[in-house]
Amino acid sequence: MLKFSKNSLIIIVLFLGTLITTQAQNKLASIAGKVNSEKGELLEGVNITLKGEFLGTTSNEKGKFVLQKIKPGKHTVQISFLGFESQELEINLVPGERFEINFQLKEAPYRINEVQLSGKSAIRQINEQAYAVTSVSAQEFYNSTSDAKQILDRIPGVRILQEGGLGSNLDFSLNGFSGDQVKFFLNGIPMDNFGSSFNLGSIPVNSIERIDVYKGVVPVWLGTDALGGAVNIITNQKNDFLDASYSIGSFNTHRASVNGAYTHENGFTVRGNINYNYSDNDYSVFVDIKDELGNIEEEDVEVNRFHDRYRSLTANVETGWIDKSFADQLLFGVIASGDDNQRQNGATMAHPYGGVVTESRSIIPTLKYKKQNLFWEGFDVSLNSALNLTETKNIDTLTGVRFNWYGQPLETGSQTDAELGTASLVTMDDREFTTQLNSGYLFNDQHSLALNYSYQNFHRNNNDELNPDKPENKFPNTLKKNILGLSYKLDVNQKWSTTLFGKSYFLNVETSKEYDSDNQNRRIASFESNQENFGYGVATSYFIFPQLQVKASFEHTYRLPTATELLGNGFDINSNVNLQPEESDNYNLGFIYNQDWQEKHSFKFEGNFIYRNAENLIYNSVQGITSTKINLDKARALGAEGSINYSWKEFFQLGINMTYQDITDQADKIYDSYSGYQENFNKGERIPNTPYLFGAAKAGLRFKNVGLENSLLNLNYTYNYVEEFYFSWQRFGNRDGKSVIPQQTSHDLELVYSFGSGKYNIGLECRNFTDNLLYDKFRLQKPGRAFFLKFRYSINH
Amino acid sequence: MFLNQLSKKIAFACLGLAGMASIVSCSSDDDGTPSEETIRIPAEGMDYAVSVAIQGSEGDFTYYTFPADNLMEGTLTAEGQGIEQPGYYDFTQIDQTIYSIGGLDDNNVVGISKNSEEYLVQTGDVSYQNSLSDMVKADNNTLVSVTMDAASDIITFRTFNSNSLTALSSKEVEVAQLTEVTDAGLSYSGMAVSGTHLFLSYYKSNPDTYATAYTDQAEVAVFSYPELEFQKVITDDRVGPIGGFNIKDGLTKDNQGNIYAVSHSNPANGYSQSAKPAGILKINNGETEFDEDYYFDIEEVSEGYNVLHLHYLNNGKMFAEVNVQDRTAQETWSDGPLRSVILDLNSQTLNYINGIPQHSNGGRRLPLIQEGNNVYFTVSGENGIYIYRANTQTYEAVQGAKIEANFTAGLFKI
Repeated sequence: MLKFSKNSLIIIVLFLGTLITTQAQNKLASIAGKVNSEKGELLEGVNITLKGEFLGTTSNEKGKFVLQKIKPGKHTVQISFLGFESQELEINLVPGERFEINFQLKEAPYRINEVQLSGKSAIRQINEQAYAVTSVSAQEFYNSTSDAKQILDRIPGVRILQEGGLGSNLDFSLNGFSGDQVKFFLNGIPMDNFGSSFNLGSIPVNSIERIDVYKGVVPVWLGTDALGGAVNIITNQKNDFLDASYSIGSFNTHRASVNGAYTHENGFTVRGNINYNYSDNDYSVFVDIKDELGNIEEEDVEVNRFHDRYRSLTANVETGWIDKSFADQLLFGVIASGDDNQRQNGATMAHPYGGVVTESRSIIPTLKYKKQNLFWEGFDVSLNSALNLTETKNIDTLTGVRFNWYGQPLETGSQTDAELGTASLVTMDDREFTTQLNSGYLFNDQHSLALNYSYQNFHRNNNDELNPDKPENKFPNTLKKNILGLSYKLDVNQKWSTTLFGKSYFLNVETSKEYDSDNQNRRIASFESNQENFGYGVATSYFIFPQLQVKASFEHTYRLPTATELLGNGFDINSNVNLQPEESDNYNLGFIYNQDWQEKHSFKFEGNFIYRNAENLIYNSVQGITSTKINLDKARALGAEGSINYSWKEFFQLGINMTYQDITDQADKIYDSYSGYQENFNKGERIPNTPYLFGAAKAGLRFKNVGLENSLLNLNYTYNYVEEFYFSWQRFGNRDGKSVIPQQTSHDLELVYSFGSGKYNIGLECRNFTDNLLYDKFRLQKPGRAFFLKFRYSINH
Repeated sequence: MFLNQLSKKIAFACLGLAGMASIVSCSSDDDGTPSEETIRIPAEGMDYAVSVAIQGSEGDFTYYTFPADNLMEGTLTAEGQGIEQPGYYDFTQIDQTIYSIGGLDDNNVVGISKNSEEYLVQTGDVSYQNSLSDMVKADNNTLVSVTMDAASDIITFRTFNSNSLTALSSKEVEVAQLTEVTDAGLSYSGMAVSGTHLFLSYYKSNPDTYATAYTDQAEVAVFSYPELEFQKVITDDRVGPIGGFNIKDGLTKDNQGNIYAVSHSNPANGYSQSAKPAGILKINNGETEFDEDYYFDIEEVSEGYNVLHLHYLNNGKMFAEVNVQDRTAQETWSDGPLRSVILDLNSQTLNYINGIPQHSNGGRRLPLIQEGNNVYFTVSGENGIYIYRANTQTYEAVQGAKIEANFTAGLFKI
């Protein structure tokens, strides 16, 4: 059972104590009311702001809103909503007053999708948190054939390396951190072990409302042990809507997505989505053709990939109640998903595979509960739980042949050797329970507290049908993680907001291992490891003037070791129960500047500086056939990223972003078990095989009423750029003879036509229209020119 | 009026797009792979080449081969120079060419040599999905490689033209022809071609647990050359299996075509148990059986220890390393602690070389150059890796240049 430390107990007692003894004293005034359209529809998401002040809210699903903590006196209320004409109203509030007012908005059919920059949309509210967070709305991508990956790829500091086409492996990197160091969430539920069908490249945009990317400093409510940040994907939260889309494109790519929600007046709701992805990924690549003897027969031949099909189907259904006395939201859901993925090549494109396949299936029941003002006014509680059952199969059973890049089999004469090595059929059964309990208490307009408790219990069982006796398949792993976080938010005034937080990490790992399997001393011993760490941080933001906000944040954070890293796999990875978590000091300094002129020009400038100092990074020390994980590595990242967005009325938009990151190896030593600790000759050198300078630009034009009434025609152009980077460490070797991943540029064009006030949409996209050669790390080739056509039908109630 | 406004808008927008396009730089056609022609490392007046491995902090390795003129002074570094090869490589010199075998997710065979213009250049571009266990000289124009793995049911031989480095033929042999054992596979430990025969030594290990349950005799498989037809397995129960994990020195050929087979059964080199003493056997030139009259009792001359990492010098002398711990005291897979010695195969004597610290090697090929009575080799110690020059007559060694590397993969005379 989990043992809380003294510190953590003090935290909890303090939190509960202050909760009970404090009464919310409120001498400020508030405004409350309802917003509907002329037709009587209740409007959700309407921005209600006080002009020239830093206060605002949005209406809920019932069209209701409450704006609290307003100083008595004169104010101008601004009401704005996409597709409706804005309104203003002057009011005079007396202390303690609750001013009731209802608004009726008039439709402005030609202003669909217009972003009112003076209003604070949900996106801007997220962006204005003190954390270094970038939030991107998926809405503008709904008619494009993009997926979560392409949205994220346009965020400064984010780099996604994808090995090939749809469904291929992704490596997400955020300010130089990647892999387990960055954590992913789906509506706040950790996605770590959701299975491969929940790939960033396979979640269609139409299922997503927005994506929040937390850089380096992760708020306590996400309750996780991320070393370098977190990504939270928020799916569509509307109560009544239908959005169906289908796209078809190059490489026999088909993607279908149906998203919808229905909510009865009595609060009963059903919501969900079904997504299907299919692609042959048979794009052409330039490769050498080798004969049976290994000689190159033909050099640099253009061939189509022949074993790269990807299929996935995911369904997510939730049902329950909203806006009831017992809960603002109580939803029971289940996510079911599966995929199968042919693998065309390994880490490089040296040799193609013709029979290697991975498959995964997941069933994930979920529970969500949310209630504001539970027991006391200002006391909010939410609970997110998921049980995630995933089976992953790695299939490498085709023996006796190798393939050349023409897809022709070449005999090897072996009945035991498959394409990756000895034939194997490995099944991994994962069972994971995660739960997150968040509670918050608002004392008054200046002080609030939030407490998060998250629990993760992971169990993995490996089985290889063809090699059942392999020791690493005999010993299941269990890992329990508890994270307790407390944060205190101080809003000194409406310009200055500061959050202080602390996180306690508890790790408990169990496994068993066999000793002396080849003699009479054979025995099985169980292993257990317990660890406790304490992280902390601060995030602050200040409006120098209404258009300019500066943000600074810091976190000392940990990434707990995985079960395998700590306890080995009973075979070739030795246990190291003394292994410590990876830790990092993450600093961010950023600013956001918004300026509008003459209601025509709108300008946004955002910049961010990052500094990361990571230590105790887990390093693989190899000895013969075995390896041990040790804390050895150090890395430092220094980076700057910026973006500029300009729009002229609704007609023209231009956005440019650029990222520079200098990630260097700072380890003093490397370890080799034969020679012991040795000098790290690459100390201070830039980490190879990782882009360090990259950017993107996007320009768009919008024409109204082209051909049909209530129609829109959008033309978008996107430019992507990655500077040349080294394949291996820079310091050694002849400069002319060093392998590089060359500078890459690509251009995408998109044409979208919407009519029926956004109900019917057709999108045509050409990616990489100049057909430039594009690469991933290890010089894996990516698709050339590709066309996609998308149809979308959408109704919003 | 409206049209006029629209055209203005379009003109403005096009201006914007054009502006964007102008910051778009031209993409290059270069795919980033340095071509063979671009790799020319000046080596004028340089008599030696060093292949070093630099380990990245994430466990990755990159190899560099660079020329050197003085092995005894200063620091030898690949900084800014040398042929780069990312991945995991093994280097062997046959005549005037250095062959690097290995790669990243690939197994290339690349030749490195000094051309007539005194540049180090690269030749050849054959590659395989399975790694080559070793490659040896078969005759003046031919190299032969072998691929074997304890988990595989076949052994694959390949022959290459040693000048152009093109693959000439491939021959698969079923493991079942060599052994009836089913709970262990054959792991490579040595290969030599003498006259019309190819000799292949191996030890038996379980592919799942790496346990070595069969250690009561030496086994060498005999094949015809150049046909590479399996002929027989010769055995000898005076010692245990020949060679060990990843060292490739199980069989050593002298200048007369005799082959020496070494057995050590060391836990430090991959054995989970042992049954026989350590020693060296001999197969005389032209014969296909162990010489029953020859037995070099290593334990007797080394105070109960054993030898490995053999390198034939001349006149019956061999450079070798002694593992100076009893088998029972050895740390598994440690390939140490080692001391360097000179063996005399005829007089059956062993002489420790003075002036060299105890070291470990890491289960790799032994980098060594012979020049008359001097041998140059590298030893890794607390302060880094240094070249040592030892006299094969006096058995005295002196420390030479420092090598900036995490380990030396090869030391060659070019």
